[in-house]
Amino acid sequence: MNSLIKEIKDSIGDNDDLFFTEHQLTDLSVVFIGLNSLVDLGPSIKQLEKMGQKNYSSKEKLKQISQLGEIKRNASEITSLLLEGKLMIAISLNSDSVVSVDPVPVKLNRAIDQITNENTMLGPLVSFNEDSLTNIGVMRKQLLSEKIRVKHFRTGIHHKKALSLIYYEGIVEENLLETVVKEIKGNSKSDLYSLQDVTKMLGITPYSIVPRVKTTEIPSEAAQSLLKGKIVLFLDGLPFALILPSVFIDMFFLESDKNLTFPLMISLRSLRIAGTLIALIFPGLYVALVAVNPEVLRLELALSIAQSREGVPYPAFIEIIIMLVVLELIMEASVRLPKSIGPTITMVGGIILGQAAVEAQLVSNLLVIVLAATTIANSTVIGVQNLISIRLLKYIVLIFSSVFGVLGILAGVFFICAYLAGVSSIGVPYLNFKHSKGEGNNG
Amino acid sequence: MDRSVQVVMMYILTHLGLIFFLYPSNIIESTDQGHWIPISLGIVIHIIFVLVYLKGLSFFPRRNIIMIYSSFGKVYLILFLLPIFLYFISAVTITVRAYSEILTIIFLANTPLWAVMALLLFIPFFLAIQGVQAIFRTGILVSFLFLPFLVFILIVSFQNVDASYIYPLWNNDFSFMTKQSYINSFFAISGGFLFLGFIQPEISYKHKKIVIAFAAVVPAFILSVYIPLLTFGKATAETFLFPFVLALDTITLSWIMFDRATVFFLLSLITFIMLFISLVLWKASIIIHHSLPSIKPVYIVVSLTFVIYIACLLIPNWQQVQMLFKWNSVLRFYVLLTVPLSIYFLGHLSKKKVY
Repeated sequence: MNSLIKEIKDSIGDNDDLFFTEHQLTDLSVVFIGLNSLVDLGPSIKQLEKMGQKNYSSKEKLKQISQLGEIKRNASEITSLLLEGKLMIAISLNSDSVVSVDPVPVKLNRAIDQITNENTMLGPLVSFNEDSLTNIGVMRKQLLSEKIRVKHFRTGIHHKKALSLIYYEGIVEENLLETVVKEIKGNSKSDLYSLQDVTKMLGITPYSIVPRVKTTEIPSEAAQSLLKGKIVLFLDGLPFALILPSVFIDMFFLESDKNLTFPLMISLRSLRIAGTLIALIFPGLYVALVAVNPEVLRLELALSIAQSREGVPYPAFIEIIIMLVVLELIMEASVRLPKSIGPTITMVGGIILGQAAVEAQLVSNLLVIVLAATTIANSTVIGVQNLISIRLLKYIVLIFSSVFGVLGILAGVFFICAYLAGVSSIGVPYLNFKHSKGEGNNG
Repeated sequence: MDRSVQVVMMYILTHLGLIFFLYPSNIIESTDQGHWIPISLGIVIHIIFVLVYLKGLSFFPRRNIIMIYSSFGKVYLILFLLPIFLYFISAVTITVRAYSEILTIIFLANTPLWAVMALLLFIPFFLAIQGVQAIFRTGILVSFLFLPFLVFILIVSFQNVDASYIYPLWNNDFSFMTKQSYINSFFAISGGFLFLGFIQPEISYKHKKIVIAFAAVVPAFILSVYIPLLTFGKATAETFLFPFVLALDTITLSWIMFDRATVFFLLSLITFIMLFISLVLWKASIIIHHSLPSIKPVYIVVSLTFVIYIACLLIPNWQQVQMLFKWNSVLRFYVLLTVPLSIYFLGHLSKKKVY
């Protein structure tokens, strides 16, 4: 056996899906090399037969076949092409070169589907999927402009991952683009599996409570960010766009809001801001008003709260922590569980925890209401990442307020503001007021 | 990038935080009638010195006062920056100590003083280590969240006002100028504006826009004194340690669920004070960083915070706080007078040299 074919065999190893099939292409005998998990051989051969010449002469075989694709001689390059799903045609098992052709692939990607995690009311329903090339296509369909630039990178040692970068020439912030490209090129050896790897590669700390990279699965959102001078990245295998940089107002402002009239848009956005504040403050407010500063409340209200807590055997802070932890567990469980068991959790959570815990006087009535309000309000925030960071941040306010009462709430909110103000990624501060100015109103 | 909005906001917030707690009782104590005279004197002094300071700073575009003084030699550094630094340290100590005392008196009867002081120092410390831009961004965010409260409460605070208490309007007695309580009132007047000279070149702003901030600060000076005066009358208001707080406590709003809605207002002022403390901590840290460039700013802020916390713990009672106010007034007036004037004259000097 010739060294080239042997080298290919050696580098891919003993994979049972690697095939070396001798075949008669019209009247020419060739060897097909490929991975049958990626290449649909039968239809591919039919396609090649259609494309190829009617009659092959036995002389200059290689030259004739090379019309179908490109001639490759480097074994490692051939290996990576094979892994990408290309089909190689060799004249014989002894030839020192092969021709790489595009075969009919095995269908491994799902079709462009509906949005699953970020529902919008009025807006396009198309969503990104796992294939980055498809995603770029979807983006091009959104923005028909010759100013859109796409750059491909391959990173990683153990496995080569395709990373694509899209920006809008002329609008993109040059510094940002330069830094991002420099970081990607400088760290081209890092293996990318997850969002954390991408942020690490870009030199952004992964130890951050708020998301440093905005993710969206809505193409129109990604397209609008391009128009605002941001950069969109696609990592092959992740079904969403990574938008750089992520800023504070992304938590509240959705591009598809603009499909509503202006006053409606403003009120929806204000609602989200109010929801975030409620989610942050309410648990803390409950503890502060029940345990530390009851005098702030009107007397009748203070009495009725005290009445509802009658018989609850532990301090308000412990009470709310217990219920919050259970609530977080329900949320996490309902994500994790198969859809067929999901309703059970809802029932157990809703009826048993809500009703029974109150009746057994383990928690107060009011607390259940507070928790419900918190959870509902929390969900008004845009984006899964933001949702989780707000879920986490409310504990800061809660802890502060259990010690310092109403002061603690404001101190906690101030602390969160201070934290957000200190965050910046790739030179762009998280609280970037410049962009928000363009948005007109902050709600 | 022009950040005038952030600077103006910061100016307003820190002054609001400084004005509403101690300033009213200082003024009310200082004279028997015609309180507008000491107030307007203070305001005029404040405005004049801020304008002189800004004029002086405009001779040195994109430079902070540390750079300015050091370009004129070591003598200026010691003569001006050392007192400024000492003033900052003492101001933070007094502010933290006084405000934690206020908080324990008004809201947190059961929380130990050291815990409140730790809170009032920890959060500003956390903000100060993130740098000046973070402080100013926080200012904007905080103003969005808390300023609406403040405006609302200031409007309802007129509920129990009796306009006849405004008389007599005139007072021939100008002895208030030498009274300690009036001198103490300059804590609010001279405390907040020095930052304007520190933030260049990180944060650039248009000097003229600061004038907008006067429009918010001047009414605050007046309202903080006149609301308690017109609610209780001079004789009663004089007996309170925090007349403005008590005046707000008299407000009853039947249509909201809180009995003491004013608590939220007062506590949002506390967040402004935290902003003020973090700004002063940052200013003190860059002064040290200038003289000892090898130490990382983070370590400087940590050690400053630690020293101030120990100092706060060592102050046993309110009398001592009053005493510190008295001692601090020397530094306060030195800084109020010399810094704006020296910057102004150095500016003129350097301008002559150029031409």
